[in-house]
Amino acid sequence: MADKRHRTPARSVPPPGSRDKLAFLLALVPWLLEHDRVSVQEAAAHFVVSEDDIRASVSLVAMSGVPGSTATYQHEDLFDIDWDAFEQDDEIAITQHVAIDEAPRLSAREAAALIAGLQYLQSLPENADRAAIRGLVEKLSRGASGTPSQLAVAGGPDSEVLGLVQRAVAEGRRGRFAYLNSRGEREERDVDPLRVESIDSDWYLRGWCHLRRALRTFRFDRMSDMVVTELPIEHDASEVRLPDTLFEPSAEDLEVTIEATPEVVGLLADYIPDGALTTEVGDRIRTTLRVSHYHGLKRLIAGMPGTVRVVAPDQARRAVAEWAAAGLSRYA
Amino acid sequence: MRGYAQRYVPGGDNANLERQFERDKDDIRELGVPLETIEPLGEPGDNHNLRYRIPKGAYELPDDIRFDSDEVALLGLAAMAWREGSLNAESRRALVKLRALGISADEPVLGYAPRLRLRDAAFEPLTQVIDRRQLVRFDYLKPGEARARTREVIPLALVQYDGRWHLSAEEVATGERKTFLLRRIVGKVTPGKAAPERPGDHTARSLAELEKVWQRGIADIEVRAGSDAALRLAHRRGTEEIAPGILRVHFVDLAILADELAGFGPEVLVVEPPALRAAVIERLERTVADHG
Repeated sequence: MADKRHRTPARSVPPPGSRDKLAFLLALVPWLLEHDRVSVQEAAAHFVVSEDDIRASVSLVAMSGVPGSTATYQHEDLFDIDWDAFEQDDEIAITQHVAIDEAPRLSAREAAALIAGLQYLQSLPENADRAAIRGLVEKLSRGASGTPSQLAVAGGPDSEVLGLVQRAVAEGRRGRFAYLNSRGEREERDVDPLRVESIDSDWYLRGWCHLRRALRTFRFDRMSDMVVTELPIEHDASEVRLPDTLFEPSAEDLEVTIEATPEVVGLLADYIPDGALTTEVGDRIRTTLRVSHYHGLKRLIAGMPGTVRVVAPDQARRAVAEWAAAGLSRYA
Repeated sequence: MRGYAQRYVPGGDNANLERQFERDKDDIRELGVPLETIEPLGEPGDNHNLRYRIPKGAYELPDDIRFDSDEVALLGLAAMAWREGSLNAESRRALVKLRALGISADEPVLGYAPRLRLRDAAFEPLTQVIDRRQLVRFDYLKPGEARARTREVIPLALVQYDGRWHLSAEEVATGERKTFLLRRIVGKVTPGKAAPERPGDHTARSLAELEKVWQRGIADIEVRAGSDAALRLAHRRGTEEIAPGILRVHFVDLAILADELAGFGPEVLVVEPPALRAAVIERLERTVADHG
C-alpha cells in the first residue's frame, strides 16, 4: 500500500472581495479595448470566469467614468458600449473610454507571490533554464508598483527521479521502481505516471499502479531503482480524474485518541478527520487521529517527542512505547 | 471618491464613513494602484478639499513587459503553489491582471501540482509588517529553553528553506542579524512603529546564510539496511555514505534533526556529534515515559 494519510481540511479560499473585483475590472477593460468586438463567451473563456460575471462587469464599466473639469460627469467623462450588440448579440464593443486603457501593474505582494512560486519551481528539470526564470523574475519586479516583498523559497525534488518520471511521460511508457511502503514492505511497482505533486519539500508521484490496479501516491524518497520500461502506458492523465487531495481516507482506518500541545495540532491536521471532537485537557488538546496502521503512527508520534501523547487504545500507546524503547536500546 | 461626498452628513458623525474611506484607499494602494494626494491650490494644509488621483505611468505595466505563452504557463504554475492564505488571493489577482495582456498558456505535458503550505500562524502578520516596514514583537521559544523570550526586531525577509519558513531580522536591542524559525514563534505577533530602512536583497542573503549553516551542520548516522530511515536519509540532499551503513547527512537545526531521527526509532543510531546523540536519546526517553 502506498502512503496514505487523511485528506487535508478544505482549504480556505476567501470569496472574491472588493479588491478582486476591482483588479478584474482593471484587467478586463484594456483587454476589451484590444479587441474591437468580442463575444461574452470568448471573454469568459479568456478570464476563466462565468459569462454572467462578464455581463455584470461590462454593465458596471459602461456606467463608470471620471469627473471632468467641472467635477461633474458629462457624457465624454463616461465609458460607453454598443448596447444593441451587448443586449441582442451578447457581444462587447467599447465605443468610448476614459482613463484605464492599459494593463495595470502588479502590486508588490502580487509580484512577490509569483516570484517566490517561480523560485520553488526553478529546480524542476523542465525549468532548468535558470536564465529564463531570472528574466521572468526581473520582469515581474519591474512590473510591480513597489519593490516586491522579501519572500523566497529554496529547494526542490530529487531531480534524478523526476527526470525519469518525465521521460516515462514523454515516451508514453510505464515506470518501474522498488517502493518501500510505510509498513516497511518493499515491492516492485509498475506505474503509469500521471502527476507530480509537492507539499513544501516533500515530492510525490501519483500514478496508476499495475500491481494494485488502482490510483496510488508514492513519495519520491521511498522510491528506488527507477527505470523506464518498454511497456506502453495504459492510463494517462486525460482519462483518470485525480482527486484534489493527496491522501484519501479509507473505511479500514484506525482511530486513535491523542493529547497534543496547541502549537502542534496544526501539524497533525492531515490526520484529524472532519468533525473530530476536540476538548481541552489542562494545557493540552485532546482529539482523534485517523491512521491506516500503527506502523505509520509510531513513527509520527516518536518524531514529535514531548508534544503529542497517544491516550487510547492501549495497543496504539504500546506500539509507540515499544518503538521508542527499541530505539533507546540501541544506545544501551 | 464622489460616492463618499454624497454620503457625508454635514455636521454629523461621519466616523464610519471616514474609516471606510481610509480602508478603501489602503485597498486601492495595496492593489498596486498608486494614489496621489492633491492639495487645492493656495490652501496648503487644508485637508478638507483634498483630491486623489492615479498618476499615469505609475499605473500601467511598462510597454516592454510582455509574456509569451510558455512564460504564462510557468506563472500559472507558480501561482498554483499558493493554495492557502492571502498569497493565494494575491497570486490569483496577479494572473487576472496579466490576462489583460491577452496571452493564454499552453497545456504542459506532465501535470504538476506544487503546493506551499502556510501552517505557521506567524506567516501572515509577518508578511504584512515587512511590506509596511514596521518593527515587530513576538515571543520566541528556543529549543532547550524552558520559557519563551520576547524579541523585538526589524523584519527583513521570509524564506522557506528545507521545507520550513524562517524570518530574517535585525534584533533592535543588539543590532544583530538573526534567523528565527516561524514554528518557534509562540502567541501573537505584534506590529510596532515604523522601522528604519535596511536596503538590500535580504532573501538572497538569508538563503545563502542558511545554506552555509547547512554545509557546516554534519551528522554521521548508522542506518539499518533496507529500512525506511536508510532510504529516506539517503535521498536527502547532500547525503553521502561514508562507510557501509553509515550516512553523513547535513542539517540546519539540530533539534529538528533530532526529532526526525527519533521518529525512525531503532532504524538509526547517531554516531556523531555527541550533542545530537544526547538529543535523540532524550527524545526517545521522553516518548517512552509519555507512553508507559
